[in-house]
Amino acid sequence: MTSSALLDSRRVGRWALNGAAGLALAVILTPLVFVTWLAFFRQEIPSFPPEGYSLRWFAAIADEKKFVDGFSLSLQLGVMATLIGLALGVPAALCVVRFRFPGREALGSLLLLPLMVPGVVLGTSMYVFHVEAENALDVDVLGTFWALLAGHVIIVIPWVVRLVMASLAGFDRTIEEAAHNLGANPVTTFFRVTLPMIRPGIVAAGLFGFVTSFGNLEMSLFLVGPGRTTLPIAILQYLEWRIDPTIAAVSVLQILLIGGAMLVTDRFVKISRVV
Amino acid sequence: MAIASTTTAPADTAAAARLIAAEERGGARLTAAMLVTPATILVAVGLLIPLVILFRYSLNEFVTQRKLMVEAVTIANYAKFFTDPYYINVLVRTLRVAVTVTAICLVLGFPLAYVLARTQSRFKNLLLMLVVLPLFVGSAVRAAGWMTLFGSKGAINATLMGLGLISTPLEIMYTETAVIIGITAVNLPFMVLSLQSVIENIGRDVEEAAFSLGAHPLAMFRRVLWPLALPGVLAGTILTFILGMNAYATPVLLGGPKFQMMGPLVYGQFAGVNNWPFGAAISFILMTATLLLTIAANLIVQRRYRR
Repeated sequence: MTSSALLDSRRVGRWALNGAAGLALAVILTPLVFVTWLAFFRQEIPSFPPEGYSLRWFAAIADEKKFVDGFSLSLQLGVMATLIGLALGVPAALCVVRFRFPGREALGSLLLLPLMVPGVVLGTSMYVFHVEAENALDVDVLGTFWALLAGHVIIVIPWVVRLVMASLAGFDRTIEEAAHNLGANPVTTFFRVTLPMIRPGIVAAGLFGFVTSFGNLEMSLFLVGPGRTTLPIAILQYLEWRIDPTIAAVSVLQILLIGGAMLVTDRFVKISRVV
Repeated sequence: MAIASTTTAPADTAAAARLIAAEERGGARLTAAMLVTPATILVAVGLLIPLVILFRYSLNEFVTQRKLMVEAVTIANYAKFFTDPYYINVLVRTLRVAVTVTAICLVLGFPLAYVLARTQSRFKNLLLMLVVLPLFVGSAVRAAGWMTLFGSKGAINATLMGLGLISTPLEIMYTETAVIIGITAVNLPFMVLSLQSVIENIGRDVEEAAFSLGAHPLAMFRRVLWPLALPGVLAGTILTFILGMNAYATPVLLGGPKFQMMGPLVYGQFAGVNNWPFGAAISFILMTATLLLTIAANLIVQRRYRR
């Protein structure tokens, strides 16, 4: 092959490569683009092309009690599960990285396990566990807020452990020793040296934990009780029945909320470094 | 568990600070135990014990007439699944969809992952966010997007009919094609991120070396890039496959009530007919099928790697 032919084939290759990459990005983004478009339709039936545009569907959300309640429950669950998950996961990650003890690797795997078990299996196993606990303890467990929260904490923990462990892996311990040699006590060292250095990992863990909890559908389906629905479940149940601009407007709000959370996180730690 | 869940973040960081002190005092092991125990207990009690109970339930009997679970040790639920063509069909369909989706994700995801890994553009972070954002938006919302496209008055049919290419709307909703497209879009970001992180660590110079030795781009890909990216390919493939096997919202919304996959089937047994033992058995069959194929993929790739 002559060298100019080779250069030509590299140029063609580059075109093909960029085209294929663009196609993949289009497949990922197309559903979000169309659901956003639908939210601004004037007519209620999702037929194309739209007859006109309107903002009234966003106002209509406030009248849909299921979405307002679902949003509030998902927000409470997300915030509480993230805080508890951080409180439990950060020290556990510190311990697994810093100490050498028998069963350390098994422990690390156990803490990451909830990430590997499929959502439907998580949901069914917790459901039967709650049934058994209810029989044994003679108190309401199944369908309560606290049981749902416990499930959400369990799916937040692996993200916290994973991201904090990753940020501790590149940690230079001589800096802590230097602080110690300069007379800082362990508490000062932790707050002034260790914590600031792993902060990006903790912020990322908080974000991933929150969005994991906020968006969870499969596990929560089994754990919600009567009259208690999370936002993703409310969206699913509505969509099983119909698709219209109201549900599209709800979706747009969710996209904006999560996009905003990501932009804020990106100011603390570059997204490209944590995913 | 109650004590653990009331622990607040500041108290906890203080505990971590005490860890460093204790480490020096020689009480390291005790401190380590104190730090890791709450999370471990929660995961063990909240996940391992439930899995054991779920397995136990799958061996119980279900009395259809009274809709009651009776304690027993029987493999009847598993036998029921594997002798009824309907359920075998659901399992085969689930496997077929998951494998197809995984293959499409690999073919579509590799170029995007490569471009993201190699780009010097200042929009790189923005592009990455566009890949990550849909990941967190949830599969129900994304299914809603496809529903606006696929419906009989949706964007695709309206465009094709407007152009005069077809006279009657195409049936896209409630088909396997719709479900495959939907799950592909849901899983693609996972594949792209798995591949991108691995490709980023492959030096640009090995590619240039292959080119300067006169390799055709396809030969470079096959002989250099692909073998080096194999760990990422494996990680992405496994993740995509697991997510495909366990898809819930996409088959429910885009496949409709007649299109059964394993995830919705499990839910139906629990919520619909209250047959917990059978639901538990299907849950375990789903988990085992997923695990076995994951392990098989691992072994095949490892063997090829060594050669």
